[in-house]
Amino acid sequence: MGAVTIQGLTKRYGATTAVDGLDLDVHDGEFFVILGPSGAGKTTTLKGVAGLIDIDAGEVSIAGMSMTGVEPYHRNVAMAFESYALYPQKTVLDNLASPLRSGRTGRYSSTQQRERVEAVAGTLGIGSLLGRLPRELSNGQRQRVALGRVLVRPADVYLLDEPLSHLDAKLRAQMRVELKQLGEMSSTTSLYVTHDYQEALALGDRIAILRAGRLVQTGTPLSVWATPADTFVAKALGQPEINLLVARVADGMLRAAAGAIALPVPPGIDLPAGGEAQIGLRPRDLRLVPAGRAADGALCFDGVVRLAERLGRLIELTVDVGDQMVVVVSEHGVDEGERVRLQISLEHVHVFAAAEDDETPRLGSGAGRTERSPEAAMLGEG
Amino acid sequence: MAAELMPGKKRITTGSVLADLGILGWFVFSLFPIVWMILLSLKNRAEQTTTYFQFSPTLENYRTVLSNQGRAVTSVDFRAALVNTLLNSGGAVLVSLLIGIPAAYAAGRWKFRGADNLLFTMLSFRFAPELMVIVPLFVIYNQIGLFDTMAGQIWVLQLVTMPLVVWILRSYFQDLPADLEQAALLDGYSRRRAFLMVALPMVRPGIAAAALLAFVFAWNNYVFPLILTDSNATTVTVAISKFLGGGGQAYYNLTAAAAIIGALPPLILALTIQRYLVRGLSFGAVKA
Repeated sequence: MGAVTIQGLTKRYGATTAVDGLDLDVHDGEFFVILGPSGAGKTTTLKGVAGLIDIDAGEVSIAGMSMTGVEPYHRNVAMAFESYALYPQKTVLDNLASPLRSGRTGRYSSTQQRERVEAVAGTLGIGSLLGRLPRELSNGQRQRVALGRVLVRPADVYLLDEPLSHLDAKLRAQMRVELKQLGEMSSTTSLYVTHDYQEALALGDRIAILRAGRLVQTGTPLSVWATPADTFVAKALGQPEINLLVARVADGMLRAAAGAIALPVPPGIDLPAGGEAQIGLRPRDLRLVPAGRAADGALCFDGVVRLAERLGRLIELTVDVGDQMVVVVSEHGVDEGERVRLQISLEHVHVFAAAEDDETPRLGSGAGRTERSPEAAMLGEG
Repeated sequence: MAAELMPGKKRITTGSVLADLGILGWFVFSLFPIVWMILLSLKNRAEQTTTYFQFSPTLENYRTVLSNQGRAVTSVDFRAALVNTLLNSGGAVLVSLLIGIPAAYAAGRWKFRGADNLLFTMLSFRFAPELMVIVPLFVIYNQIGLFDTMAGQIWVLQLVTMPLVVWILRSYFQDLPADLEQAALLDGYSRRRAFLMVALPMVRPGIAAAALLAFVFAWNNYVFPLILTDSNATTVTVAISKFLGGGGQAYYNLTAAAAIIGALPPLILALTIQRYLVRGLSFGAVKA
């Protein structure tokens, strides 16, 4: 058991800075997810915590103790590698027993080793594979063995580096559910790295979103989903991606898509006449409503369906609104070329600062200024 | 048309015939000396300079070389030279592996100040002709009593074998993903145990390849034993050359027989570990 505190973690590889002054505070027993695109510094952060790389600046503490200068084998952390890192010449049994045989995770008689390995193998459903070599396993099985090597031992912290990334979609969804149900996972502080927003939202007690080595936002899945700190977070979460429309203030209205979308300037958001902003509409927040209908507390606008793609039960519609394309996920099939009316409640409308070729902070929702300041969201309160 | 595009089906054109002839020519050119050596080694003294392909073959030369008669001819015991060379080369390779494997691991895994310069310096021993250092070495060896000793040979052969071992194995260690050793560290193993348990077993093909190459180079070395040994620690290469005589009669047939015997041990060794060798050479050394 142990909380993990990361202060000012910085790691450079030559001219590139992989992690740049990262601060994270992971509570004891928490399942903490680090989300970010490839190259954001996620793995570097994990290896920094594990002590596998020499960090250029900053400090990592585990269970209140500074880990500066502490060798990886003295940190009492377990890690599942993205590459699985199974010992190729050892059987599954020996791979799983390896942490128990090093003598640094406690003393185990061979009977105790066997018991622990079998218990973990049973939980992960790899009990019948103990005699095999890693090369005789499928990717899904290798991944389970790698996870088993983490779970088989007591540790202060579990570090999990994209453990599900190489699995096919079906197995990934199944493992996601299983991971959540593992008792060891729920009681041990875990740092989980992924680039899959669904994994992050489903698994994390809290999520940190990284971009280019810097922390963008920390918070519960709900808070980062509902109040993304900026356009980067908004785009990172959700599939299809959020619609971002450039809007200009005129007559007290934020007008976008050649005037086809008109949003009253939300109270508390200070935008001068002629000022610019961006309106963010999540495809799944938009609903198709009968033509001519308007509702209080909602933004409505019309468009023509240009493309309809069936995703299964749902259909992804690309709707031509004014001069913009807006993506909508709908339950109803609509023919291409048909006119539709779209509605979204004001609190689901995100308003971001105007774009200057970069990510911009969120100003608030269609219903008003951000309920909580981005700073509060950064600290992960609530 | 269709036949031309069939994979595996050979097209016969003027160009391909010429290319095949060229390859054949090259083989004849490079293999004929070996054939000639074998023929020569089967001729008797009288026939060695008077016949080409028609002679009465005899194994007498081999018997002479491997018996006391040879010693009478050259004052060098060829059998002792064989044993010496085996011990020299084997010892040199062993020392190179013991020191070179950890060195290669360090050079491949860790960035340390001057690493590249150090490795380049090591390789540069192979740039200069051995003759360049032989005179000072001769003086030093005489002074400290290493002249004409086994230990002296093993030591000087490090100039030949060590760069090979380090450079070949370094590329092997570089190609190993670091994740495996890192996993071992987090399993609670020390760096030394992570190296022994994880990294070392994975470069076995590389070790086989490096060891064989080093052995062959050490075995075939001529200049160092020529200058730095006398009758006690003399080696096969020097012993072979002795049959050519010096001032007196040249025994070409005996030289040929001795050379063929001298070429056998590396050949046998290469064939024994061929399985590793092909894999080993294509994996690390070339890819580096």
